Amino acid sequence: MNDMRIAERVVDSMESKITARGVQVFYGQNHALKDVDVDILDKTVTAFIGPSGCGKSTFLRCLNRMNDTIDGCVVKGSIKIDSEDIYDPKVDPVQLRAKVGMVFQKPNPFPKSIYDNVAYGPKIHGLTRNKAELDEVVETSLRRAALWNEAKDRLKSPGTGLSGGQQQRLCIARAIATSPEVLLMDEPCSALDPIATAQIEELIDELRSQFSVVIVTHSMQQAARVSQRTAFFHLGYLVEFGETGQIFTNPKDPRTESYITGRIG
Amino acid sequence: MQSEKHIASAFDRDLEAIQAMIMKMGGLVEAAILDAAQALESRDEELAERVRAADKAVDALEDQINTEAARLIALRSPTAGDLRTALTVMKIAASLERCGDYAKNLAKRSTVLAHMSPIGDTAGGIRRMAKAVELLLKDALDAYIHRDVELAEDVRRRDREVDQMYNSLFRVFLTHMLEDPRNITACMHLHFIAKNIERMGDHATGIAEQVIYLVNGAMPEDPRVKGDITSVTLLDGSQ
Repeated sequence: MNDMRIAERVVDSMESKITARGVQVFYGQNHALKDVDVDILDKTVTAFIGPSGCGKSTFLRCLNRMNDTIDGCVVKGSIKIDSEDIYDPKVDPVQLRAKVGMVFQKPNPFPKSIYDNVAYGPKIHGLTRNKAELDEVVETSLRRAALWNEAKDRLKSPGTGLSGGQQQRLCIARAIATSPEVLLMDEPCSALDPIATAQIEELIDELRSQFSVVIVTHSMQQAARVSQRTAFFHLGYLVEFGETGQIFTNPKDPRTESYITGRIG
Repeated sequence: MQSEKHIASAFDRDLEAIQAMIMKMGGLVEAAILDAAQALESRDEELAERVRAADKAVDALEDQINTEAARLIALRSPTAGDLRTALTVMKIAASLERCGDYAKNLAKRSTVLAHMSPIGDTAGGIRRMAKAVELLLKDALDAYIHRDVELAEDVRRRDREVDQMYNSLFRVFLTHMLEDPRNITACMHLHFIAKNIERMGDHATGIAEQVIYLVNGAMPEDPRVKGDITSVTLLDGSQ
C-alpha cells in the first residue's frame, strides 16, 4: 500500500543549508517570533506561509540580518548557515548579504542602467578582475534570470524603464550576480500580473538547482506550486513544517488545516 | 463536517450543497434496492417498473455531483479536508450510481422471474440480503455525513455477513439446478441478482473506506476480510 503512494516531491539534496534553533525576535516589547527551530535544505525551495503578522517575514529577514537595521529589534537563538553562526560578532553583515541574496515585494531597481544594476554587487564585492569578466557575470546573471533576450539590446537604458515583471527579474539578476548560496524572496510576485508571476515561478524552479531558495508568499497556491517544503507560521510560532504535498493535502496540525482551507485569516 | 466556517461563506454553501446531493442520491438508491427486492418477492411488476424509471434521477444526480465537484475544484482550489471532500463525493457518487444500476437490473430480472415458478424461498432470502445491504449503505452514508470512522470500520466488517448470505444462496441455486434443469433459467437470473447485491455490499464498503480517507487523510491500511468464497466453490458445493 505504502509504495503505491505518490512519492514526495523530489528534492535534490537532503543536506540542510540553514539551521535555526530557538530563534526569538523582539521588536521592543513585541515578541514577534517565538522559539523557532527549522532546518532549511540546500537546493530546495522552502515556502513560508501564514497570515499577516505571523512572523514569516521577520524570520526571513533574520536569515540575512536585515533585522539589524531596525531599531529595538533583538534576535536570540542561533541561526547557522553551513554550520557558521551568522550572528557571530566576527561576521560582516555586508559579506553575509552577498552570500544570502534578497528580492523584495516591490521591484526596486537602482536608478541606473540595466547593466549597472547587475554589475553593482560584483563590483563592490570585488568579485571580478576586469571589464570582460564583469560583462560575463552580467550576461550569465541576466540569462539565469530569464531577462537576457529582452534586455541585451538595451543594457545601457535605465532599469526603471522596464515593465514590472522585467524589473523584478532584474532584481533577481542583481541578487544572483554575487553568486549567493541562499536566495530570500519576500513576496516577489505580489506586485506582478499572472504572466510575470508564472515567469518568476518558473525561474524560481530553475534557480533551485544552484541555491537554497526561501520564499515568503501570501498566495498559498504559489507556495504549493513552487516549493518542496512549506512552513506555516501563526502568531509568532512555527506551527508546522513539512513536505509541501503533505502540508496541502493532509496537514497534521488543525491550525494549518484551518489556515490553508481558508478558515482563519 | 468541520465545525469551523470558511471565511468565504459561499465555499461552505457549495460544500454543503454537494453533500446534500450525495445524501439525496443515497436515499434514492436505498429505496430502489428495497423496492426492487420487494417487487421480486411479491411479483409486483408495477413496482419493478417504477424502480426502473427512478434510476434516471440517480444518474442525473451523479452528473450533477461531478459537475459541482469539478466546479468547486476549479473555482475554490480546495486543500486538505476540503480537497478530500471534493474527491470523495465523486467516488461515492460513482459507487451509488453503480448500486442504482444493480437495483434497476434486479427490477428488470424480477419482471422476467414473475412469469416463472418460484425457486423455494430464495426470493425471500434475496430480500433479506437486500435489506442487509441497504442497512450497510445507510450506515456508510451516515458515517460519511458524521465523519464517523468507527461506524465506517463497522460497515467494512459487516460486509462479510452479506458475503456469507450470498455464499449460501449460491449453494441453494446450485442444488436446484442440479435437481431439475428446468430451474436453470430462473436460477441464473436469481444468481445474477444475488451476485449484484453482493457487489452493492462491496460498494458500501468502498464508501466506508472513502470516509476513513476523508477523516484520516489515508486509506485504511489493514486488508479487508473477504467473505465471498464462490470463486473457488465446485459444482457439488464443496471448496
